[in-house]
Formats: sequence, structure tokens, C-alpha cells
Amino acid sequence: MALPEDINFDTLRPEEFERYLPDLFANGNGKVSQDPRLSKFLGEHPDCAALVSDLETIAAHARSLFKVSVDPSDKVWQNIQSKLQEGNTLEDEDEDLLPRSKQAELT
Amino acid sequence: MTQAEAPAKSNPGLFKRNPPIAGEAEAIEAAKNGDPEAFSKLYTLHKRRVYTLCLRMLGNVSEAEDMTQEAFLHLFRKLGSFRGESAFSTWLHRLTVNLVLMHLRKKGLNLVSLEETINPSEEDAPKRDFGSRDPVLASSVDRVALERAVGSLPPGYRMVFVLHDVEGFEHNEIATMLNCSTGNSKSQLHKARLRLRELLRENSDINLTEGEAA
Repeated sequence: MALPEDINFDTLRPEEFERYLPDLFANGNGKVSQDPRLSKFLGEHPDCAALVSDLETIAAHARSLFKVSVDPSDKVWQNIQSKLQEGNTLEDEDEDLLPRSKQAELT
Repeated sequence: MTQAEAPAKSNPGLFKRNPPIAGEAEAIEAAKNGDPEAFSKLYTLHKRRVYTLCLRMLGNVSEAEDMTQEAFLHLFRKLGSFRGESAFSTWLHRLTVNLVLMHLRKKGLNLVSLEETINPSEEDAPKRDFGSRDPVLASSVDRVALERAVGSLPPGYRMVFVLHDVEGFEHNEIATMLNCSTGNSKSQLHKARLRLRELLRENSDINLTEGEAA
């Protein structure tokens, strides 16, 4: 749900907070814990504060995920070469992978 | 033009990450003219990036290799349409993302209606309670544990999490790619993070138990 403009952060309840959380994260560049409107609420609700802290930690660590990149096996290039030699580059297949409406939208 | 050829939208974060590579421009032009050596060079320059992206999105080595192959075959066929309006690596990145999404659609994963179709079963869905404060997650998360947890997410959750939190796409971009609403993208991301939190807490409980047993 979209974040209502008239939220009263002074009377916010945990269940409302939970409902608004996806938008609070999206609107606040992921820094819900630093949102001054929520400082009182988070101070009074340590479980909510812990949730926010954990989700921020997960999001922060996600940026460093998969940094150790690896090469595909040699057979990938062998297969590519083989397909190219056969003249088979899936020309006829990929056009139908998307719904027509989506194809039109993206052209 | 198919979705895989859609030009990259302006995204400062992605452009920053993708500076030109020495010799790449020459290789692109030569490969456009059918030079197999040049195409081989493009493969060498970009295979790791493409494969890693496929692996993140699919969480499966075999499928990731298949999609890497598809991405380069698609690249071979469509290279002529690359006009240099964005960095080549950005263009190839988006081409790959779109191919993986099309692959998932072809497999029957309906990304159009994320909420209804790829929501996990009730027992798999992230619990909606806040839980108690967990000092393990509050400070640091073990990268390997997090990667493993991401790999075990349901496909729809993993897709949105990887696109947003790992790859840096905005919700509106994800919504366009997945053909869903931005609200849906936000909601899926939130559920993915909640599920990851649960998985990491379970993992830390297991480690704790193992430690106590030892």
C-alpha cells in the first residue's frame, strides 16, 4: 500500500508501522532508523527497532554480495562456438517469449 | 524490438559501475562486422559479469551457464543494434536481465502477478511478527550465510531482492521489467528481506546449538 500523507507518527501502532514499512524503506532510501519522524516510535518499540535494524543490515550487506565472481565453465564458450558454427542463434525463438503487449510497451 | 533489446534507461548507479574497457570499442565494431576473434574477445571481457549476474538471479549453476550461453548468442545476433548510447556493459547487463526474466516466464514463473503466483505457501511465507531483538543480525551478517539464504528464497522474492538490493535497480525499473506495480515490487522486496531475516536467524540458532553441543 502507498504511504498515506496524514500518518500520525505520534500515535503510530506496531501493526500500522508494519503495514507502512515497505514504503518507509522505499521512500527513505532504506534508512528508516534515521527517519526523525520515527525516532520516538522506535524508541518506544524495541522489537520494531530491532526489525528495522535487521532489515537495514540485510540490505546493506546485500550490496557486497556475490562480489566473488566466477567464470562459467569452458563448455559454455564451446557451446556458443558450436551454435554459431551451426548458424543457430535462436533467432526464431526469443520473439515469442514475451506477451505481445509487453513487447510493444518496450519498443 | 524485443524486451532483451530494450535500451538501457538512464541509471547513474549502473553507469558509474561500468566504465569503458580498453579495447572494447574496437572489439565491438569488429564483431559487428563478423570478426570471430573480436566476438571471442567480447566474451572474454564480459563472461564473468554475465555469468555472475545469471547466477545471482537464478541461484543455479547449470541454469546460469545455459543463460550465459543464451545471452552471448543473443548478443551475437543483436550486436548490430548497439549504438553506444549507453556503456556496452550496461546494455549487455540489461539484455541479460531481460533474457533471464523471459526465461523464467517461459518456465512458467508468472512475474506479471507476483503476489498471486510466486508467493510461497503459508508455511514458507515470512512470519509477520516482529520477533525479538537479535544481536547477531543487528551488527553483522556472514556473507556466505546471506548468499546461501538468498539462494534459498522463492524465485520471485529472490528476483526482486537481487534486482533491488544487489543490482541497484529502482522499484519503478523493476516494476517495468517484471510488468508489475511499484507497490508490488516494494512489497516483494520487503517480504524477501523478512524471509532472509528468518533464514539468518534460523542459521544463527543452528550454529548456536552446534556450538553448545560441541
